Amino acid sequence: MEERSLTNDRKYSNRDITVYWKPSACVHASHCYRELIEVFNPHRRPWVNMKAAPTDEIIEVVNMCPTEALTWKWNDMEKNINIDPDQTNHVKFRRPELIDDNITDSVERPAMVKVLVDGSVMIKGDFTLIHAGETLEYKDNVISVCRCGLSNRMPFCDGHHTKTGFTG
Amino acid sequence: MEEKEEKTSKTVVKIIDNGPLIISGNFIFQDIKRNIESNPGKVELCRCGRSRNKPFCDCSHKE
Repeated sequence: MEERSLTNDRKYSNRDITVYWKPSACVHASHCYRELIEVFNPHRRPWVNMKAAPTDEIIEVVNMCPTEALTWKWNDMEKNINIDPDQTNHVKFRRPELIDDNITDSVERPAMVKVLVDGSVMIKGDFTLIHAGETLEYKDNVISVCRCGLSNRMPFCDGHHTKTGFTG
Repeated sequence: MEEKEEKTSKTVVKIIDNGPLIISGNFIFQDIKRNIESNPGKVELCRCGRSRNKPFCDCSHKE
């Protein structure tokens, strides 16, 4: 059974890597589809086609994602352990203490709340999200919340503000 | 008598149905002009796009 997820996270794999897609963290910077529309095409379902480009090209574009909405991991877990942190955007590699999922990280980092010009509000770090009667704990995570009132994926941003000329 | 109060409460992000986004606890806030404020207390941000006091809620969503 598919695990229920408020944020509708997905993952896509080819032979070498798995790309993780966290729509709630996307601020629609659009690097992914401008750089590699063959793989990342928002008008197609599923929107990620892992067969359309070589692994190294996919990694390069995923690493451009400014918010960790897109991240990646080697399928061969041993390769993940020896990875150069500069070569990846994956949050766990930048925070090596989190590589072992069994170690609970007790350090609290205050969340960063950024209001983006004519865009969403980005919340990053450790925080509790209360929404529609559910309480979710976010650890070293990012979400992007709609401010224009027109998102089809409420409460998260879906990039609608770019089409409607939202200001503020 | 001196009482030392340590304010190390966790950030709580609450999304009100048909209402604002309320952020409380400890957090760092950056506004549109990139001014940064540490621990501004509680902020209520507009989610409907109609506030005249953006990014803050002014209850325009009730109109």
